[in-house]
Amino acid sequence: MSESLLRVEGITKKYGPNTVLNDVSFEIGKNEVVGLLGDNGAGKSTLVKIMSGVVDATSGNYYWDGKLIDNVNREETERLGVETIFQDSALVPQMTITRNIFMGREITNKFGLMKIKQMDSIAAEVLDSVVAIEGIKSPKQLVASLSGGQAQAVAIARAVHFKSSLLILDEPTSALAVRATEALLDYLRQLKTEGVSSVLVTHNLHHAYQVCDRHIVMNHGRKILDVRREDTTVEELTAAVVGGAEGIRQYREGRKGN
Amino acid sequence: MSNQNNSGKRPIIQAPLATEAIQVRRLSDQKPQTGLAGLKYNLQFMRGRGALEIGVVLAVILIGYITAASINPSGFSFLNPSNLSGVISQAIPVLAILGLAAGILMIAGEFDLSLGPAITFNAIVFIKVAESFGLLAAVVAGILSGIAIAMVNGAIVVITKIPSFIATLGMSFFWAGASILMNGTTPAIISAETREGAMEFLFAHDFGLFRSQLVWLILVGSLAWLFMHRHRLGNHIYAVGGNAAAAQAISINPKRVKMMAFGIYGGLVGFASILIAVRTSSMQPGGTATEDFTLFAIAAAVVGGTSLNGGRGSVIGIIFGAALIELIKNGLILGKAPGFYITLFVGITIVIASVFNKLMEGKAR
Repeated sequence: MSESLLRVEGITKKYGPNTVLNDVSFEIGKNEVVGLLGDNGAGKSTLVKIMSGVVDATSGNYYWDGKLIDNVNREETERLGVETIFQDSALVPQMTITRNIFMGREITNKFGLMKIKQMDSIAAEVLDSVVAIEGIKSPKQLVASLSGGQAQAVAIARAVHFKSSLLILDEPTSALAVRATEALLDYLRQLKTEGVSSVLVTHNLHHAYQVCDRHIVMNHGRKILDVRREDTTVEELTAAVVGGAEGIRQYREGRKGN
Repeated sequence: MSNQNNSGKRPIIQAPLATEAIQVRRLSDQKPQTGLAGLKYNLQFMRGRGALEIGVVLAVILIGYITAASINPSGFSFLNPSNLSGVISQAIPVLAILGLAAGILMIAGEFDLSLGPAITFNAIVFIKVAESFGLLAAVVAGILSGIAIAMVNGAIVVITKIPSFIATLGMSFFWAGASILMNGTTPAIISAETREGAMEFLFAHDFGLFRSQLVWLILVGSLAWLFMHRHRLGNHIYAVGGNAAAAQAISINPKRVKMMAFGIYGGLVGFASILIAVRTSSMQPGGTATEDFTLFAIAAAVVGGTSLNGGRGSVIGIIFGAALIELIKNGLILGKAPGFYITLFVGITIVIASVFNKLMEGKAR
């Protein structure tokens, strides 16, 4: 396995009496595309929030480049170079595209006043480089006026613009058209060659199988499978996602039987 | 910033076009338009954001008033200098500053229903400090008192996560009681010697064509515009009010931003309290004189296009909203309408404006 970029150990997350994540450990290698799979409620989104520092884990350790990070919060992960496209709650509909892209990272002068023209022109460039979706008229448009696919494209554009070492994509293709999805998956392969790791969270196994070097399957808050692509098949991943640990066992026995 | 060199590269996502006839227009190729074309281009993105629509309504009413006053100066004395100065320089600035206070808080997604009682409290603090320690200390004390009250309300809302509607409704009774505790049931009065000179000149002087309050509105309004629409912290207020979860995901702390909004709100209310105190020269603790301001300030913000759900509103819109309410009030008084008609018409205006804004929200682009 390649050198580790992010490693989490024994991550447990409890919401009141509910244990959402139970002792989850894994690592993301440098220049690696990792698929994080699992059915709804498997704990994928919570894991994404913990990896990106938006939510605190109840217990567990977070290592970056082999070093233990004591206080994982969004400021810290932003400094480390983690950029996330969240499945929900990614954009502010009442704000313009530009202001969404630069939200929290505005380009300002020394008084904190924003350089709106400069931000608008960078936003236009970033959008052009990420999406050639017809219909976005101007970076001054409100996000509320965009379609689901266009809004998702803006969220992707923002993450791509600010990414530096790890890009986490939580269901990035849910609102994208088929060809746009293909293009995004291609882009993840290309990122790897530029030295950026990525985590693709999806329940579309075929998308994941196409691009990911390694697959992590979650089931009811536990990690049940962590395999390299060469060592698995779409069928095994399907069995794991649908049937959990029992599903994997049945699949492997079935194969032996044949 | 890690802005990689994108230019010249093929877009990452190539979406299919409906027909070959449609040309892909690159956003960054668009030339900045100047003059009339630029104005038209920018105008299409201003529609549905509040200020433009309410500005048109305001202009229509103003033209109507001016026409009526020109035809019949004695029957409808709108253009009478003392009326003009009373409305434009006195009533509108105070309501507009309070509207900005309430509006900025609403953009952050919160309310404060204790605005009226807070005015009474701040004004009494201002008067008492002015009588004992002089003007400068009093101004500082009045504004600090406003900030302190708002921060207490804000802390209750942010820490306990009680809806601000209920929390500040409760606190409004508390602050009304607190002003009686501070000054008893007798009114706090600014003595003539204290008021004369700098205090009167700064906060209530009549310069003929305009009064001090109008100067303050222009100053406060410009600063508020710069802060809300051009400063990064103002941008954070919009982000948190619009979608707190999205803001948090991008390392904006919603609690900190909401406390900041409460602080700004409090400072503006404190300042408006000073204008009100100097104008009336007295303040009755626990009185009803300031009660109306709570809802009128929120009304000014709503009429000006501020969303009750947060994330939407503009400084110019709010000032226009306050101006519209005060102009309607003034027109009814000049038209010799009986007192109860005034609240009736103001009420209808507020409802119509909210319906209008709701319709326009869909048109925003």
